[in-house]
Amino acid sequence: MSGLISRNLKMYFNDRSGIFFSLMGAMISFVLYLAFLSQNMITSWSKVPDTKLLLDPWLIGGTLTITAITTTLSSLSLMVKDRESHVLADINLTDISYVGIQFAYIVTSVFIGVIMQLIMYFIMGIYFMIVDNSSLDLTIFPQVFGISILSSFTWTIFNLLLLSFVKKVDTLGKISSIIGTASGFFAGVYMPIGTLPTTMQNLMKYTPAPYNSAMYRNILMNAQLNKSFNKLPVSVLSKFKEVMGISISWNGALTFQQDLLIFISFALVISICVFLISRISRRLVLSKV
Amino acid sequence: MKLLQATSLTKKFQNKIAVDNINLTINKGDFVVFLGPNGAGKSTTINMLTGIIQPTSGQIEFDEKTTINREYRNKIGVVFQSSVLDANLSVKDNIMTRAKMYNKPTQIQLLINKFNLESIWKQKYGSLSGGQRRRVDIARALVNNPELLFLDEPSTGLDIQTRTAIWDVLNQLRHDTGLTIILTTHYLEEAQTADYVYIIDQGKIIAEDTVSKLQKQYTKNILTLYYQNGESKELTVNDKNQAIKILSDNSQAISDFEYRPGTMNDVFMNLTGKEIR
Ligand SMILES: Nc1ncnc2c1ncn2[C@@H]1O[C@H](COP(=O)(O)OP(=O)(O)OP(=O)(O)O)[C@@H](O)[C@H]1O
Ligand SMILES: [Mg+2]
Repeated sequence: MSGLISRNLKMYFNDRSGIFFSLMGAMISFVLYLAFLSQNMITSWSKVPDTKLLLDPWLIGGTLTITAITTTLSSLSLMVKDRESHVLADINLTDISYVGIQFAYIVTSVFIGVIMQLIMYFIMGIYFMIVDNSSLDLTIFPQVFGISILSSFTWTIFNLLLLSFVKKVDTLGKISSIIGTASGFFAGVYMPIGTLPTTMQNLMKYTPAPYNSAMYRNILMNAQLNKSFNKLPVSVLSKFKEVMGISISWNGALTFQQDLLIFISFALVISICVFLISRISRRLVLSKV
Repeated sequence: MKLLQATSLTKKFQNKIAVDNINLTINKGDFVVFLGPNGAGKSTTINMLTGIIQPTSGQIEFDEKTTINREYRNKIGVVFQSSVLDANLSVKDNIMTRAKMYNKPTQIQLLINKFNLESIWKQKYGSLSGGQRRRVDIARALVNNPELLFLDEPSTGLDIQTRTAIWDVLNQLRHDTGLTIILTTHYLEEAQTADYVYIIDQGKIIAEDTVSKLQKQYTKNILTLYYQNGESKELTVNDKNQAIKILSDNSQAISDFEYRPGTMNDVFMNLTGKEIR
């Protein structure tokens, strides 16, 4: 199986333009933020001190969620391509079992998701360190690393479910651009979740995306939140957290642990769906030459 | 010794019969050719024999066992009609990652030497010439030391030197390891060196035998006479005595002559009434 995993990894990392496009959603959010989002938000939260230092990690959190969604999708797309170009049938001739083949694509995708999130984390962190004098706090790295694994896994499973229905490479391109754009909204990056209409907010809450961003933001912004809000009333802090999607509210704000729990539940439910569907898709793969 | 046997193999696609009730017996160490025009059902047959698609009906046995198990897949190598190698990866990556997908040890170095891959080892597969690609395709199909190698039109579009070079290596392998080869082609010259030929048309085997027997059965010898005045005449003759008689009767009138046995091309023409390509 290691043979297939290393082949899949090489396929991803050898394809420079593929990497570029898989990071498109993340780069758009970054550029939008630099161009005007950040200024808008600083103005609307002018009574909070050091807003910029607060918003930089806020952006990083959301952008990492986008990165997890789009890079795992891009990595898993290889499976659809391989199916269509008969590569899967050819791999099936080797000693790797069918389950092993599926597993190899999943491992590859989780791995790529983690690596790309960490790369984005350091790129953005260092950028803001240079430009805004934000600090890149390495003591929280273990938590960031943990969340990156969890989100990479969840989005891999999510995208696996999505791609079970995709049989043509044609469709793949369309799906990636839809997901690329939608991820920025659902992760609450293009616009803070609290500024959206309630129906839209509710729709978002039925996907894992806002919880993913919330977890990241909790970890990344914790230190600065304490600093910026220590002279302000608690109600202002709660309001800020809710509007900015740092805590998601379901009849009251969720804690980090609750976000985590909901996120893991999503992963479990989706895993079960994938398992049920894989029985059908196996027949499809093996019947197709 | 019998290695692979297929009985009443049939494949229907929707309402179209691609392979129609064919029987095959492949002996160990043989070089067997499936010869047929486009759309005859050669690839479909190969895909069934390699277990990639399931036959609509019929059985396949390998070494007296059915072929649905992993053991069988371990003993075969396949070069598909359209390559399945990764254009974006180097030759090295294509071959080494493939080797790691098998549990048994492999002899990569031997293949590198045999197929002359040293100079293109680090090059991307997608940037290779057609002939170089085919060399890599075949080397990769041999990574697991198969007993039986399937080649689906490996030489289409290759020049004669490249084809010869590839066949030299394959023949050497057959000689050294007793490799059995099943080849599909519509190059008649390639069928000429086969141990056994199946001629397939419209999903059916219309003739099968050794090359010499097919030629004997379905063709006559051809004698061409070139006359002094520039004209020429083609005659079919039964044997050399008849030829000698014709030649001596005409010895004054002709300037030259050509005598050849029927080729696979004539066999195909006589069987189907059409040229193969
Ligand atoms: N998946 C499929 N669905 C429907 N028809 C198919 C399918 N695969 C093959 N066929 C049909 O079966 C017939 C045999 O095809 P096959 O590919 O086996 O021919 P071939 O002898 O390999 O031809 P070529 O020399 O062009 O490669 C063709 O008429 C083809 O259109
Ligand atoms: Mg074919």
